[in-house]
Amino acid sequence: MRLTKAMRWAAVAATAALAVTACSNSGSSDFGSKSPSQSSQGAGGPAKDGGTFKLGISEPTAIDPYNAQESEGILVTHNLFTGLIDVKADGTVVPKLALSRTPNSDCSEWTFKLKTGTTFTNGEPVDAEAFIRGWTRTASKASASDVAYHMAEIDGFDDLQSGKATTFKGLSAPSADTLVVKLAQKDCEFDLRTFHTAFSPVPKVAGAADNKTYNDMPIGNGPFKMDGPWQHNTKITLVRNADYGLDKAHLDKVEISILNADNGVTLEYQGYQAGQFDWARMPVPQYSAAKAMYEPKGQWLQWDSNGMNYILPMTKKGPLTSKEARLAISYAIDRKAITAGVFKGFFTAADSLVPPAFPSAYQKGVCASCVAQDKAKAKELADKAGLKPGTELYFGYNTGAGHEEWVQAVAGQLKDVLGLKVKLDGIPFKELLDKETSPDSTGIYRAAWGADYPTPGNFLTPLLSTSSINENPDSHVVQGDNRGRWSNPEFDKLTSQAASTQDQGERYKLYQQAEKVAMDDQALIPLWNRTQLRLANTSKWNNLTYDFNENPTLSAVSAK
Amino acid sequence: MGRYVVRRLGQMVVVLLGATMILFACLFVIPGDPVGSLAGSDKARDPAVIAQLHQRYGLDDPLAVQYGNYIKRLVQGDMGEDFTQRRPVSEILAPKLVNTAKLAVVAIVFDMVIGMLVGVVAALRRYSLLDTVVTLATTIVVGFPTFVIGMLLLNTFAVQLKWVPVIGDPGDPKQIILPALTLALVDAALVARLTRGTMLEILRADYVKTAVAKGVPRRQVLLKHVLRNSVIPVITYIGISFGTLLGGALITEVIFNWDGVGMAMNTAVQQQNNPIIIGVATWGVLIFVLLNLLVDLLYAVLDPRIRLG
Repeated sequence: MRLTKAMRWAAVAATAALAVTACSNSGSSDFGSKSPSQSSQGAGGPAKDGGTFKLGISEPTAIDPYNAQESEGILVTHNLFTGLIDVKADGTVVPKLALSRTPNSDCSEWTFKLKTGTTFTNGEPVDAEAFIRGWTRTASKASASDVAYHMAEIDGFDDLQSGKATTFKGLSAPSADTLVVKLAQKDCEFDLRTFHTAFSPVPKVAGAADNKTYNDMPIGNGPFKMDGPWQHNTKITLVRNADYGLDKAHLDKVEISILNADNGVTLEYQGYQAGQFDWARMPVPQYSAAKAMYEPKGQWLQWDSNGMNYILPMTKKGPLTSKEARLAISYAIDRKAITAGVFKGFFTAADSLVPPAFPSAYQKGVCASCVAQDKAKAKELADKAGLKPGTELYFGYNTGAGHEEWVQAVAGQLKDVLGLKVKLDGIPFKELLDKETSPDSTGIYRAAWGADYPTPGNFLTPLLSTSSINENPDSHVVQGDNRGRWSNPEFDKLTSQAASTQDQGERYKLYQQAEKVAMDDQALIPLWNRTQLRLANTSKWNNLTYDFNENPTLSAVSAK
Repeated sequence: MGRYVVRRLGQMVVVLLGATMILFACLFVIPGDPVGSLAGSDKARDPAVIAQLHQRYGLDDPLAVQYGNYIKRLVQGDMGEDFTQRRPVSEILAPKLVNTAKLAVVAIVFDMVIGMLVGVVAALRRYSLLDTVVTLATTIVVGFPTFVIGMLLLNTFAVQLKWVPVIGDPGDPKQIILPALTLALVDAALVARLTRGTMLEILRADYVKTAVAKGVPRRQVLLKHVLRNSVIPVITYIGISFGTLLGGALITEVIFNWDGVGMAMNTAVQQQNNPIIIGVATWGVLIFVLLNLLVDLLYAVLDPRIRLG
């Protein structure tokens, strides 16, 4: 038996060692870029029907619209359901089932005129009732939906969420093709929110959110439908919806292989190399090799998407309560050196909070301290703020997502320029969240944000408005997304004024002013834009490019 | 023998209770709210939803109450519901257990066939060129981490040569070859060395000399006396190895996207999906204890001198 014990321990030790190696290799993929490259468009002529498009994703949380949340889940749901509007990668709105979207004068009520005569794939009509049914299902207490909060400004949402009501008070259907939405909080951009799949219409057969049959095989009204139920951790197959009420898809079939999250990026790349996948991400160390290989063939997509990587300063406690201290930190960081060094030039340094991916709202250089490193200014401001050399600065980040290298680079710069004693703390995300939201949090945290709908307001309001702090009255823990607890009455006024301004030009001006207020006070410290890199088999497919959710435009793709 | 088995099974219950209790306590003290953030993203959950999930999963109950409820349900065959997809844990794990078992069985077969064959041949041709090559090769293979072997095999046969798809149809029997080989190779090298060593020892044993002196044909000496006796340590090793494989081969499963319990455990740990973690661990303990018992029973069958009681 001695042998047995020794073997057992050897096996355990070996497994543990390997597990450690494997885990530290799991890189995050949400990184990288230089310039948004042109995607190849269709070569003219009528698009042919046919073909099977193949790609890999990681196992989604849900594909049922009531809880579809990460881009993988959204990819599937978005192709199974068609809502009021669609949004292109550059933020342009494309009307879908909404023929018109009209707010009243103060944007407290919206009227949507719907296209009539379209159906779900089981034949049920897609009318205003179907929308009300879908939205109510998402917002109901029993659903415990992670995406219901997008509906929070609709009248009656709170009662539904708390279980006091079972119907959505703010929604009504005066006629089959008219949907009226009453808002508890004025919003002239409410229509943009309906882009999220949480706002999909559902048929009667959907039942409640715990309908397991429907969860795994949703019946929708989109360009594609399910070909059999979701084979968990294995496969999801979509086929063309021949009865689609709008522009029909051309692909016969979409085969989605489900890959494990840890090795998925590598498997996608390997699958693409083997000719098995038509769309793929790639591991960070392979960026250069992949680019050299596929860019000449026109199969390389690189673009800045609707997101931002930044540092979150804690503004209520610790060394960064003053504006000068936060500005000093921002000036001390050499973003260009890090994007060129750590990210090998696949990232672009940020100089704003609302990213350049929103061309109509982007203000170049609005974050003055971001534009270039300025050591002298950083020291001067630090001196003014009493941020003396030797001061301890906490820097929290989440492990397992490939942040180690750049986090150390930033810490090194803060040490070199300001002489700060940076205390790096790498912990799992959930633990980080606990620290970050605690009333005692100080220093800085690594953070990132991706937009859910195309408005600068989706960056500014959730991240920085006072109401987004949403402190728990008992524990004083932050429950909203404004975890730095930055609060500024002028900013609040500008953003709420923007939300109730009908004219988009005027509205964006107000948002831009709000962004300037936040950046002048360095409420957040932008680092680099959210760059996306994909391989796309454009030699086989026409019209293959990316959408707002960073997914392939499956409903437009056709075989060459 | 019967009483022995019953006693061992009784011990198993104690081991299971102990293991789950320790695990439960560990998961309980991990900082961070297991349902505090969304799966697969950096976004915090809506506080209202967090409160609902706490209620749903009884996360605000004291540790002892949570554990008690878990055991109560477990006895009834209910392993609870997972935190992210909110599906029954047993429904999530069932196909994964089958997958892991399939992989383990095929790997063990590769392992035994390759390992024992090579070991026997090396022992019989001691100090020949073949023996030297085997010793060298096994030393090198044992030194290779699984993930290197796995990635080499995948890159060579799937990405470059395209003999098998990178991601194949789950029903395609071809898909199992590479991951099973990856798992089997290191083990086979160990088995080969083990077989060679014990065989050489037994070849020198008195009873073998006696048999040869009595004029028993060489073939019979080797099969009946030498091989049968040298199999005992190999069986021990294979038993343990099989147990480990059934608990999930994390690295190999992740590399080949083999949807088994190892992969499930890996994802669950990262998401703090506690019901899955406990489910897989309970399964692992169960399998390990059962296989140990089986191995001990096998000793008695192979070596009549061993008595269990």
